[in-house]
Amino acid sequence: MATEVLPDERALRFGRRERALAAMQEHDLDALVLGRPANVRYVAGVPLLWNAGARPFGPGCVLLRSGEIYLLTTWDEGVPEEIPHDHLYGITWNPMNLVTVLQQIGAEYQPRRVGTDALSPLFAKLLPTAFANAEIVDGEPALRQARMVKTDDEVAAIRVAIDVAEAGLAVAVGALRPGASRRDLAGLFMEAIAALGVTTPATQNVVRMTSRRPGAGGDRIEAADLVTFDAGVVAGGYTGEVSRTYLAGDANGHAARVQNLYQRWDGLWARLLDACQPGASGAALLAAYEAAGEELPAEPVARGLGLGLDEPVVLRDLPATAAAQRLDPGTVLYLTGRVADPEVGEVIGSEAVLITPTGPEVLTSSPFWHL
Amino acid sequence: MPTAARRESGRTIIDIPKQPNLSRLCDERSGRLRAAMAGSGVDALVLLVNGNVSYATGASWPLSDAGRANIERPVAVVTAGDPMPHLFARLPEEMVAELPLGAEHLHEPVYLEFDEGVEKFVKILADLVPANATLAVDDLTGAMHRSRRELFREWPPRAASDVLGAARLIKTPDELATIRHALWINEQAMAEVQAALAPGVRQTDLTGLFVRRVFELGALANGLDPIWQVMPDRRGDLPWTVHGDIPCPLLTTERELASGDVLWVDTGILYGGYHSDFGRTWIVGQEASPRQQEQYHRWREISDAATNILRAGVTGADLTAAAMAVCDGRRSWMPHFYLGHSLGLDAAEMPFIGTDLGDEFDAQFVFKEGMVLVIEPIVWDEGYSGYRSENVFAVTDDGCINLSDYPYDPYGGSAVTEKSHGH
Repeated sequence: MATEVLPDERALRFGRRERALAAMQEHDLDALVLGRPANVRYVAGVPLLWNAGARPFGPGCVLLRSGEIYLLTTWDEGVPEEIPHDHLYGITWNPMNLVTVLQQIGAEYQPRRVGTDALSPLFAKLLPTAFANAEIVDGEPALRQARMVKTDDEVAAIRVAIDVAEAGLAVAVGALRPGASRRDLAGLFMEAIAALGVTTPATQNVVRMTSRRPGAGGDRIEAADLVTFDAGVVAGGYTGEVSRTYLAGDANGHAARVQNLYQRWDGLWARLLDACQPGASGAALLAAYEAAGEELPAEPVARGLGLGLDEPVVLRDLPATAAAQRLDPGTVLYLTGRVADPEVGEVIGSEAVLITPTGPEVLTSSPFWHL
Repeated sequence: MPTAARRESGRTIIDIPKQPNLSRLCDERSGRLRAAMAGSGVDALVLLVNGNVSYATGASWPLSDAGRANIERPVAVVTAGDPMPHLFARLPEEMVAELPLGAEHLHEPVYLEFDEGVEKFVKILADLVPANATLAVDDLTGAMHRSRRELFREWPPRAASDVLGAARLIKTPDELATIRHALWINEQAMAEVQAALAPGVRQTDLTGLFVRRVFELGALANGLDPIWQVMPDRRGDLPWTVHGDIPCPLLTTERELASGDVLWVDTGILYGGYHSDFGRTWIVGQEASPRQQEQYHRWREISDAATNILRAGVTGADLTAAAMAVCDGRRSWMPHFYLGHSLGLDAAEMPFIGTDLGDEFDAQFVFKEGMVLVIEPIVWDEGYSGYRSENVFAVTDDGCINLSDYPYDPYGGSAVTEKSHGH
């Protein structure tokens, strides 16, 4: 992060926009009306104010097939040069004023097919009035397709985010001891990433215990607790994440079981990584758990890293989706290995993995717990 | 119009408890929600918007970045025939334990970002909601849009936000207590940040200290990337805007603060799902000059003009008129924002007073007891920068209670907290 609010680098912006425009072409879309921060950032390249949580749909940006962009912002700080002032429309609390803006765009460009990245009942009603002659369709698949495969500049941005997440993780892990508070450790993580200039987390549920003892859901960490750190940041819009499980204090007589659990994680991980071959199906990742004899977790086994909800997403409860996902070169996975022991808890470790034409490259390098 | 004296001696019928009672809060919210459903002829709600899910189910969780939040997005289904809501989510264990929901109402997440998830959800919904029910939804993923024929009998579907908006306008005493605790955490952390304010400190350092402290103090999550906007003396030294007025909030960077910098700060956190809102003007390493004190007093005059008349029965237009009356008829607030907004399970929620919703909206919006209003006028003194603060008020039958409790230092001449117009 710098001392000025700047647009994303030109190469990053144009590389992404080219992919978005190609996807629009392929999906026969004349215009995209985008509300999700990830999509707005992807096509416009402008830093946005970070708010916690999912956002309801609202038109934040319009991308036309010509490459022209209209952007919801009241000021031009961080707005790249290719988006002129007369393409900026200010914050509004009145949906009808948004409709007026969209109507003007519609009148000028006469789009036939307009895609949105989400929708609300209100805008499902209003958008047809703004784009009178257009069919309003779901445009999110086009965006997901564009965003799934990362450009080299995007991979570089993800590496930067990962570095910050790993530095924050190291600080939080350094303060782990029996008696420590989960909240305090989360606070230390947040402070550590801010010291590196990154003030936006990817997740705020940073520290959790999976021990089976009563009260393991509380704030206070006890000796022999297995403590999982989910260290995630959003830097320059890109998510960098890493997850590690540490034992607090000593194993209280369970050393062998804990050791065994980590060994099982190693075995599972070897199979997961082996499944990360270019062109492989997401189902291969689910199969890796089965082959390792480990139960599939409910949480995603893999999801894409990028600006937001990135594909592929592979999880137990969506097997058909997993089977349809392909690990193309250029996709970046956040891949999770999880093994559980009914007495001591869980070992969870997640790595960022870039699929290259020759195989997987692990981008994360945080150390693992060892006795 | 109530006088200050009457307001001080008057007794409010809102009795805000010291500690919020989660189970009573859930019961009362449920009652309000069901009344709103009945009032708008809606039989079932499908809720995806974070704040709406919290309202309907009592669940709150540490909100993540929007991208990740979309995959894990909790979903609620409320039906008129069942007093308990259904929640589809995977929440931290300790938060599940607090929920007043039985196992038959707590389900694995539904993944509405994906066709396969929506397909499953269509079947779940068929079991929970009678086929002829009037269904309302608050937000639609792309996959829901694609499966609209399977999900909805009418298109566009009814807007659940209207139902939730009506319920959420008036806060229960436990909601107010929760908001007040969120404000307390926010203010405690800001006091430490303000003490650390010095030349050479970076904006991001202030954020680091703030966020660490709010977690230590028991916040559920941080709500927004904190704002420490350095305000120049002249409007022309700020970025271009569509309306020619002041841009705010501008994003935080690693900029080092210098002695005499005027900061417009804005932070917000979550506690129990509820948002706080904190806004003050600070000066780095210096006292306020007489001119700056004058700016503050002007701001105070505008803010007081609005809050002195704020009580059940006044309209939004009464407030804007009162604020404008002390400014020669000018609107002394940011044109892209508002004189005032509410907060609760969202950081900014209805009503929005003094916006481009228009004078008619302000005129027809009548305040009622239990509503919340964050008042945030600004004073701009071209050539000498400006002043902005905000305070959160709860509306009562005979006045309002300032839920914020933070001094205006280095403005105002004394370090004493000015708890204006409280009871």
